[in-house]
Amino acid sequence: MKPILLRARGEENSRSINTYLRLGGYAALKRALIMDPADVREEVKNSGLRGRGGAGFPAGVKWGFVPQSTTRPRYLICNADESEPGTFKDREIIHTEPHMLLEGIIIASYAIGANTAYIYIRGEFWTEAEILERAIAEACRKKYLGKDILRTGFDIDIHVHRGAGAYICGEETALIESIEGKRGQPRLKPPFPAVVGLFGCPTVVNNVETLACVPHIIEHGAEWFAGIGRDVRNSGPKLYGVSGHVEKPGVYELPMGTTFREIIYEHAGGIRGGKKLKAFIPGGSSCPVLPADRVDIPADFDSVAEAGSMLGSGGIIVMDETVDMVWALENLLTFYAHESCGQCTPCREGSDWALDIVRRIRAGHGQPRDLEALERISRHASQGMTICPLGDAFCGPIASFLKHFRHEFEDYIARAEPLPPKKLPVLPVRSDRGPFGI
Amino acid sequence: MVTVTIDGREVQVAEGTNLVEAARKAGIDIPTYCYHPGLSVVGQCRICFVEVEGAPRLVTACSTPVNDGMVVHTASDRVREARAAVMEFLLENHPLDCPVCDQAGECMLQDYSFEHGLDTTHMVDERRRYPGMERRLIGPHVVQNQNRCIHCTRCIRFTREISETSDLAMMKRGNHAYIDTFDGEPLDNPWSACVADVCPVGALTVKEFRFRARVWHLEETPSVCYGCSIGCAIEVGHHKGVVHRFRPRHNPEINGWWMCDHGRFLAEELNGRDVDRPLLRTGAGEAAATSWDAALQWFVEKACRDGGPRVVASANLTNEALFLVKRIFQDELGARVVVPVDPGEPRKIKNAHGQWVESADAHPNASGARLMGLHLVDGRELEAFLGEGGGPVLVVDAGAHPWLGTEEAARTVSGQTVGAIAMVHTPLTRQAAAVLPSASWIETEGTVTSSTGRVQLIRRGLWPGGESRPVWEILTLLARRLEVDLGLPTPVTPRRIFEELTARVPGFAGMTYRRFTTEPGIPVIEEVADVG
Amino acid sequence: MTLARTRPLTVAPPDTLADVSFDEAMEARIEEILAKYPTRQAALLPLLWLCQDRWGWISPGVMRAVAARLDLAPAHVAGVVTFYTMYQTTPPGKYLLQVCTTLSCQLCGTSGLAEHLREKLGIGFGETTPDGRFTLLDVQCLGACGEAPVIQVNNDYYTGMTPEKLDELLDGLQ
Repeated sequence: MKPILLRARGEENSRSINTYLRLGGYAALKRALIMDPADVREEVKNSGLRGRGGAGFPAGVKWGFVPQSTTRPRYLICNADESEPGTFKDREIIHTEPHMLLEGIIIASYAIGANTAYIYIRGEFWTEAEILERAIAEACRKKYLGKDILRTGFDIDIHVHRGAGAYICGEETALIESIEGKRGQPRLKPPFPAVVGLFGCPTVVNNVETLACVPHIIEHGAEWFAGIGRDVRNSGPKLYGVSGHVEKPGVYELPMGTTFREIIYEHAGGIRGGKKLKAFIPGGSSCPVLPADRVDIPADFDSVAEAGSMLGSGGIIVMDETVDMVWALENLLTFYAHESCGQCTPCREGSDWALDIVRRIRAGHGQPRDLEALERISRHASQGMTICPLGDAFCGPIASFLKHFRHEFEDYIARAEPLPPKKLPVLPVRSDRGPFGI
Repeated sequence: MVTVTIDGREVQVAEGTNLVEAARKAGIDIPTYCYHPGLSVVGQCRICFVEVEGAPRLVTACSTPVNDGMVVHTASDRVREARAAVMEFLLENHPLDCPVCDQAGECMLQDYSFEHGLDTTHMVDERRRYPGMERRLIGPHVVQNQNRCIHCTRCIRFTREISETSDLAMMKRGNHAYIDTFDGEPLDNPWSACVADVCPVGALTVKEFRFRARVWHLEETPSVCYGCSIGCAIEVGHHKGVVHRFRPRHNPEINGWWMCDHGRFLAEELNGRDVDRPLLRTGAGEAAATSWDAALQWFVEKACRDGGPRVVASANLTNEALFLVKRIFQDELGARVVVPVDPGEPRKIKNAHGQWVESADAHPNASGARLMGLHLVDGRELEAFLGEGGGPVLVVDAGAHPWLGTEEAARTVSGQTVGAIAMVHTPLTRQAAAVLPSASWIETEGTVTSSTGRVQLIRRGLWPGGESRPVWEILTLLARRLEVDLGLPTPVTPRRIFEELTARVPGFAGMTYRRFTTEPGIPVIEEVADVG
Repeated sequence: MTLARTRPLTVAPPDTLADVSFDEAMEARIEEILAKYPTRQAALLPLLWLCQDRWGWISPGVMRAVAARLDLAPAHVAGVVTFYTMYQTTPPGKYLLQVCTTLSCQLCGTSGLAEHLREKLGIGFGETTPDGRFTLLDVQCLGACGEAPVIQVNNDYYTGMTPEKLDELLDGLQ
């Protein structure tokens, strides 16, 4: 497949608006602006485009939830808070063709009736925020942004809003809280953001890659998009980020449903140093880990779900035969314990507790009941026990590491030394008097 | 109204009611930590899970509004399992120091752990600790032990939504988040101790109450705060004749769930009696202890002759006592009666509807005195009234007005014949010819009228200390000796006086004791009162 | 030609940040920021960034000034500042060395780099060198897993790091 989202990778000045225009950029916008917003929504719905942020919710359906009769302002938010370990595709899009993202944002805003859009970008992406600011300034000068763009009467402003170091702000309601100037703590749902979102107004939050697909859908049509990939539920080009123990880590744009074997062995050059594959995380660290024998499943939403994991963001973390899975889980739990917002009980207490247990197991002090405790945590901090999916995000790894690599944990525990006994000191007795006051 | 079925019990509730309140109405207790009826709903403690038929997952009862026909199970196996899990999570880091924790006995974690928790834990690692925040005064009245905090954020929401001072915030995040003020500033707002009331565990406690009594020993008597005219509903906690604390009692129309620190810390005052026997001056020098008989006889013979005394009544008395003052002195003896009113510091409290209720004066019952038809005066008029001489002076409450407690007041009445009823000595009582010991606020029963126009009942929690008696009883005894027929059946009780009062004073028409059990204070009938 | 392209942070000493005010240039920026949002509170994160760019870190005095400027409670501002890990609440060194310690970087050898840094600088994570030049921080995933291991110095990413490249980088950061 010829790259679509990353078509300009490697080209000189690919970030400039002139390059983008030369590649046919902003043509889709012109086309969209003469369509009825409802038709734009319909087109995206028909394309089967599913959210690329991790949840895989159909984008067109999400847009359809926005009440159209409201007189309140509506907002579009582009979620560029890419913080999921193993995920680095959005950064690639921004580095390659920021205008593709802007065009997607403008079309999406038009489709839902928003006149203001915010790009929430993680604080660490300072360079990327600068790139976007520059692109916005260019687009403003060319009248693709601002008041009455292209003399169609449609007003649209895009503002870049930088986060400041919080993974949880990738969750859409936490992101909204963060823009509103609060601690990034997810909200109770319902109400959903499409009805009560940013500043209490209807809001759609879409991932960078999702929005970058939009101009291509408008330009080439829903059918064309749906034709890429396995079927209409798993359609379009997909950016797969491959990291870890591979020869050529990086972002690869492939049709949805390419097998993990092809991605890892053909595109990413196979396992580093000719070692054997042990396990891979299919879509960012919160997706359950899969052992090497699942490498032949297609990397699309439904196939990965059938295999007991999730496609997530498409960030594949590859681990070779040398990796200690107890260590790997400890590493991931460190991340989640660090990133839990601390709002609801199961996640706040569970993430840290699980980390304590795994850390102790690896330190050689595992106890027979530890795995039972880990299973209890993973059962009771997920599946709707928490306000947001961060509970599921750390419970998925716990459950799957235990499911596929339980023996490694058991080996640690079998070899464990008992914890040093906690002996309380005997308090010194004053010697100038005999016992009992004699 | 919608109908929901909770554990097989049908209950009708208003639309928009959440499942916790709906269950409460059906007599079913759903455990909650972060949920407080007076604060916004955050749904973050996750203990209130219930099963709703048709919903794939358990839902938090606090954040789920009722739907017509909803069928809810609050004790199914799934619910029990989830609750036990949340309890285990909460106890994972909560110190097991109940024996030395002052919250024990009224700790929701302790109670629900017993009811819903596991009998064991899988926890073997070190518990989380917050060095330096383990016994820390974070304001003039509040002590924080962050180790015990369960991160429910009730205290934060209190300072945001009720006191509107935003003194507290959650700092940091995740498992190591903690409650703190900004940059070491004190948590100092007029309602600061309420954060300890809303704290479900022993993380925030009231400095003045800590370790005074185990709460299971406390007897709690419903009463009304006498710190200002608002009349916040309170509970007086006492044990073995000693008053230990005031706590707000829910009254949606007046104080919601809250009370101010000024009112709360009046509690100690009730233990401060220093007039415990009737006193009578027979010659020069200090008045000496005497019998009730002799002292009352003095009042009859020396104070109530010849057109009666000049009476200083008090807006700190109950409606019943004021009614007797009016009947005996103003109506029967034709005496002049004044009720001094001090504007006091302005105070306010938020009711359950989120509205501020402001004080009119510093007394619990100036409104009652006004409705009774008594003459309200300010400090200057009081001074003039006492200074103009003529006839003996009868001070029904030596603490009726701040000025009355000054040396100046004592000078003003020097040389006059003064009889007083008092609980605490003032310069004026020291030179009075006779002093009768009166019962304290917790030692008397009666009703008071808030400046919001609601009549509330205060209960007697303790027997009067020493030989003291409630003012209504003293006045009844006096009336009998003065041969004033009050038309009350014997034995006279506050309740009977109240019945007589409602029959005679238009503003109180139609009120009954029974109504106090169901109504958040009975509204007075203002229009009639104004005309009459 | 050195690898380093990062400019040092301006770090204001604590005593200068007890009581701060915004100069004209900052005020102009604040007005620009406020114009982007319908509420004043929404300007909180951008305004904190502005302050951190200006003074290198966020002191209680800065929080108080920001709170006053946006009509917020200082405690709320403190709660927000401490929630987000990138706001520095103590004065950092001129160069913030942020080592990604999450899985993909670890698989590619971060722990060796961290060890190297600790030895070379003589400080652990969360500490600053005595000369105030470097602060070493361990951070969670920086979102550049394909170029692991990654180190962020102030605002810049340095990818595919090795101990040798690290030495070259540190020498260039003056």
